[in-house]
Amino acid sequence: MTCHPDLWGLPAEELARRIRGGEVSAAAALASALERTARVEPLIHAYLEIFEEAARARAAQIDRSVAAGQDPGPLAGVPVALKDNLNLTGHRLTCGSRILAGYVAPYTATAVQRLLDAGAVIVGRANMDEFAMGSSCENSAYQETHNPWDVATVPGGSSGGPAAAVAAGSVALGIGSDTGGSVRQPAALCGVVGVKPTYGRVSRYGLVAFASSTDQIGPIARGVRDAALATQVIAGHDALDSTCAERPVGDLLATIEEGIAGMRVGVVKEIDVVLAAQAAAAAGEPAPNDIAASFRAALAALEQAGAELVEVSIPSLEAAIAVYYVIATSEASANLARFDGVRYGRRSPGAASLADVYFDSRSEGFGAEVQRRIMLGTFALSSGYYEAYYGKAGAVLAQMRAELMAALERADAVVTPTTPSAAFRLGEKVADPLAMYLSDIFTTPASLVGLPAVAVPSGFDGQGLPLSLQIMGRPFEEATVFRAARAFERQVGWQVAPRFRGAEVGAG
Amino acid sequence: MALTTEEVRKIASLARLRFTPEEEAAFTGQLGKIVDYIDQLQRFEAGAPPEAAPGTAVRAAPEDDDLPRPCLPRESFLANAPAALDGFLLVPEVRRTSTADARQASEARPGVGDDLSS
Repeated sequence: MTCHPDLWGLPAEELARRIRGGEVSAAAALASALERTARVEPLIHAYLEIFEEAARARAAQIDRSVAAGQDPGPLAGVPVALKDNLNLTGHRLTCGSRILAGYVAPYTATAVQRLLDAGAVIVGRANMDEFAMGSSCENSAYQETHNPWDVATVPGGSSGGPAAAVAAGSVALGIGSDTGGSVRQPAALCGVVGVKPTYGRVSRYGLVAFASSTDQIGPIARGVRDAALATQVIAGHDALDSTCAERPVGDLLATIEEGIAGMRVGVVKEIDVVLAAQAAAAAGEPAPNDIAASFRAALAALEQAGAELVEVSIPSLEAAIAVYYVIATSEASANLARFDGVRYGRRSPGAASLADVYFDSRSEGFGAEVQRRIMLGTFALSSGYYEAYYGKAGAVLAQMRAELMAALERADAVVTPTTPSAAFRLGEKVADPLAMYLSDIFTTPASLVGLPAVAVPSGFDGQGLPLSLQIMGRPFEEATVFRAARAFERQVGWQVAPRFRGAEVGAG
Repeated sequence: MALTTEEVRKIASLARLRFTPEEEAAFTGQLGKIVDYIDQLQRFEAGAPPEAAPGTAVRAAPEDDDLPRPCLPRESFLANAPAALDGFLLVPEVRRTSTADARQASEARPGVGDDLSS
């Protein structure tokens, strides 16, 4: 097979089409992806491990299948990067944590199995904030990942590794997990598309749990069609996850090009107030005008595409971070109790008693942010504080759900900026956990209420860093959200080509 | 509300975590600031109490029949255990500590000597 140096840049859909048709081989597609990865990885450090040997064997298997006249599926030969919290049998998995150093997955996550069944080639496990807790990837115990647009800035988090890998052209698709924005926020900061499906749309079997009432697996891609295709592949009922809904997925690509003429798009009227409050909370910095201006431009683009804008009100939006950090940390404190140095993961070598095993393994194995969130959740659930914190957060959440569902009766979709700022500088928010948490102000509501949401690139800030529009929809109406996202993408229409600013070596 | 060092110590004990005095001081300040921020919830009107687990816009799938199904073989599970013997997880003995030892231990390591050692 001749060399195809530019295969890495093709959309997943087009690459799979050529491989299924025998025009190019999966081996050539993988070789191109690995060459591209070798070029960009020293600049961004997106991967914790590249499964080169396994990926080559897998690509050869796809090629044999095509040669034998079989159809490997809609992702035939497409290179995919997995966030390091998704199990793949026989491969290591760390969740970006020291406590899982040495863990080898004994089974494969349902979403990953569905990617394999569709012909995908898994090329490696990508970096993440430890246990998916963070908005910058700086909480990984192993390495910092850099944003391909400006290597002095963060890629976002917690799925920063997959987002950076996709943006840099290393793979066509990344698979992340989104608990409060962990797919959408890094996708926004890296200038790519990120999807948080409806709660219950994608099986979580084989995903390491963080907050079970909001965790969802979702794809990252360079375009909306690829994001919809990947969602299509991983979605659907699974008997191994009792929270996974028994609802048909339908064909998410069937209506994606139909446009949004006449679609009612809800614009949240509290956004400017929230942006101003966020800026004030962030050490008195001036309000991020770029975000407000970019959002207004995005609304104009939606209108030009035929949408009818309607104002909707979500007064509880301002409380989203407070609600989220009570509920998610409470659940995390329970979910992470299993990491005790007994059943899997790292045990402190000096522990002499069972109590020491628990205390020492957890204190040595978890990083500061994970410990902080376990502490916060334990506090919120503790006797004397439960009603005031966990109880109150649940009540405000009920209000938020009522407001969002009412908005989605008036409108077919609701839009916000995805993030309150573009990519920030590495180290900028490390010392101030609360400032880091505020990165998720616009993404947490869809997580808390269980709605589908897609982050779509919308333009650039004054420094040339990508900005993003978030489109939320009604539960299980992913098709509508993708249709709106695709129409917006066509209207705004910029080609993704990160510049690796600040890097010594040009990688264009 | 501000958190005291004593409260942070108690929460750490419940969470089976222990901190150096420096970490304890840092956590007390950071958690206090975060809890202060979360206290804004008290300003918000609450709707009806949530009828289901938060976050779920939809009901989960109906319960399946409780039938035996294949699961991960014991050897596969134990392959990731820090220590195992004859098909079981191996842990150090659960030591009963004397009251004096427990007091001393709880000063150095909050939580050790209470429910874990009985």
